[in-house]
Amino acid sequence: MNRRTFIAAPLITGMLPAVQAQSRRAAGPIDFISNVPAPGAFPAKWICGSPSCMDNQDPPVQVHWYNEHTAFLRQNKAYSYEAPFLHLYFGNERILMLDQGFTQLHTDWELRGVVDDCIEKWCARNDRRSEEMPLLLAFSHLHADHFAAINQFADRPNTRYMGLTHEEMVGFWGMTKYPEERVTLDLGGRNILIWGSPGHVISEFAYYDTYTQILYTGDMFYRGRCYISFWNQWFDSMKRLIAFVDTHPVTHVIGCHVEISRTGEDYPYGITYQPDEAPVQLTVAELRKAYEVAKTITKPGIYFTGSVFLCNQTRGTTTIDKNPYAYS
Amino acid sequence: MLFVEAVFVKRCIDSLMPQNYNPSLSGNPQSATSQQYPNGNPEAAYNRPGSKNTDSCVPLHLTEEVVHNYNCDEPAPGNIAFRWLYGSNIAALNRDPRIQVVQYNEDTFILRQNVCVHWEAPFTYLLFGNQGALLIDTGATAEANYYPLRTTVDALVTRWSQMRLKKKVPLTVAFTSAEDIAQNQGQAQFAGRPGTMVAPSRFADIKQFYKLDASWPSGAARIELGGRTIEVIPTPGAHKDGLTFYDPYNDFLHTGDLIFPGKINISNDKDYTVSLQRLKQWKDTHPVKWIMGGHIEMQFVPGKAYPRFATYKPYERLLQMEPNLLDDALLSAKKVVGKEMALVRPDFILLNRVSPDQKTPVFPAGVPNINAPRPF
Repeated sequence: MNRRTFIAAPLITGMLPAVQAQSRRAAGPIDFISNVPAPGAFPAKWICGSPSCMDNQDPPVQVHWYNEHTAFLRQNKAYSYEAPFLHLYFGNERILMLDQGFTQLHTDWELRGVVDDCIEKWCARNDRRSEEMPLLLAFSHLHADHFAAINQFADRPNTRYMGLTHEEMVGFWGMTKYPEERVTLDLGGRNILIWGSPGHVISEFAYYDTYTQILYTGDMFYRGRCYISFWNQWFDSMKRLIAFVDTHPVTHVIGCHVEISRTGEDYPYGITYQPDEAPVQLTVAELRKAYEVAKTITKPGIYFTGSVFLCNQTRGTTTIDKNPYAYS
Repeated sequence: MLFVEAVFVKRCIDSLMPQNYNPSLSGNPQSATSQQYPNGNPEAAYNRPGSKNTDSCVPLHLTEEVVHNYNCDEPAPGNIAFRWLYGSNIAALNRDPRIQVVQYNEDTFILRQNVCVHWEAPFTYLLFGNQGALLIDTGATAEANYYPLRTTVDALVTRWSQMRLKKKVPLTVAFTSAEDIAQNQGQAQFAGRPGTMVAPSRFADIKQFYKLDASWPSGAARIELGGRTIEVIPTPGAHKDGLTFYDPYNDFLHTGDLIFPGKINISNDKDYTVSLQRLKQWKDTHPVKWIMGGHIEMQFVPGKAYPRFATYKPYERLLQMEPNLLDDALLSAKKVVGKEMALVRPDFILLNRVSPDQKTPVFPAGVPNINAPRPF
């Protein structure tokens, strides 16, 4: 057994012996199959920074339970302006965490404790032993605002995490034909579909949860400035997303950040207070609209689709806002 | 260890006994003060003209107001002997003072807003004269709980007036630009303060306030502080109501957003060039020690700036700029007139008709291209 199969074997549907985890279970299995999509709710408003960072009294990590088996976490903007969203999906046999935020040290930003607490609570609710629930730490892509806190989990028992190279990431999901290949991760009755979604960066994944039917698109597509580094790859990824929503029910499309107000105003890169922030979730219609706009794009530049800014090869050169004091 | 050091020191003394002082090898490396001569310049005179412009020789028991002599032949002695607070990696965990107060000399205070209260971290200057004080700019935050400018200024004024036995110190609050929300927010805290005059906010009122209606922008105005007359020079370009304050005591030009070590957003390139031309002429006809801007955004490496909204800037450039930088600024400003571009210079970056985050791949020739270490 080489390293790849060692990592991938327990994860991939079909390769997983059905009885393997049965004996561990204290309670009966949770049904993640019937009655989908599982209902869930977003907060009316996420915590979104403060006028003075040092006076911020909000929790460093906001925890929101979308439903009983799904938690969304968000980094406080006064701890990192990127304020990424992190997802926790619970299954009968294991837990998947997508992304680990933008702050490395637990003395600066304690993520591990918050995640452990979520797992304890879920296990208590569902009559399970947390030490018997393996935790998988994966991330959308290889940017530091998505994995910086991963080392806080380095000594956590029963925890496995993605490597920080393209090879290790692709290998983690047992893929041999990235990005087209779509693999299934079985969390124990709850399937996560995973495929490649390059364009913002080369190594990025899309994740689809069959239970909530939420499509997680990372930084490749989110309500903000989608920095498209590689247009052709991004457009191909977009086509894959559209083909997916044509054939699968999707309740929400969720990216990793929010950078737009409810009125469609851009919050410039780096800002630490977004008082009128738009919701993180996007509709399938908004994804389709973006695709229609993308079809017409032939040049680098910034294009607003009504819900996201498609920043085609403009990263690090410009932003959307102008000098407010300009006069003639 | 001690022994080795002693031997080393002795050898140095033996070999260098004819006094051969190398300032760059002296001093406490932890100290940022007076870097050129950390232990003092042995060649300079002991009794220098600036001494008479200090009030260190105040009587032990004051019986009457101290009248200070602000007429000095050279810049008044003064020193920025501290490093500016520079925020923290996690802004929410910052516990630095909300306002850093640095006494430049007995009659000049430099206040800086904590980077983790507001990323603009503007500088505010408090100047005292025999008959009053002038506060140049008011910071980026209105809420006194976050940014207690009024109480800080009150405390400074109280202490200063006790030292000089002043019964009243009328305060003028003026702006390098009244429209600049990074500099005008603190003014609300001064509403209703006794003996305080706050300069108006509307452009027409500003011109009237300084009696510059007819002569804007070529004229000049004065703010009399008693023995210390601050010259007010219209310098539009970064803001349409931009003003520069010249303090002939310290020989400082307080330029606000017009020229400072950072990313300068030009709001009108023609006005901007004219204003720099004017300051250059001013510098050629008046003694100028330093240009004191309203912010620092550049790093301690040439041509590199911190990104907008950064709350952790551990390698900042110094605040003060040498007056001859005006020559560079004027030349650079002329290059960007009429163009949509960012122009990088070692000590500042000009942004004309582009977004405040505009970057350019063009780096000035002959300037070392160094990337400062990034925080986590």
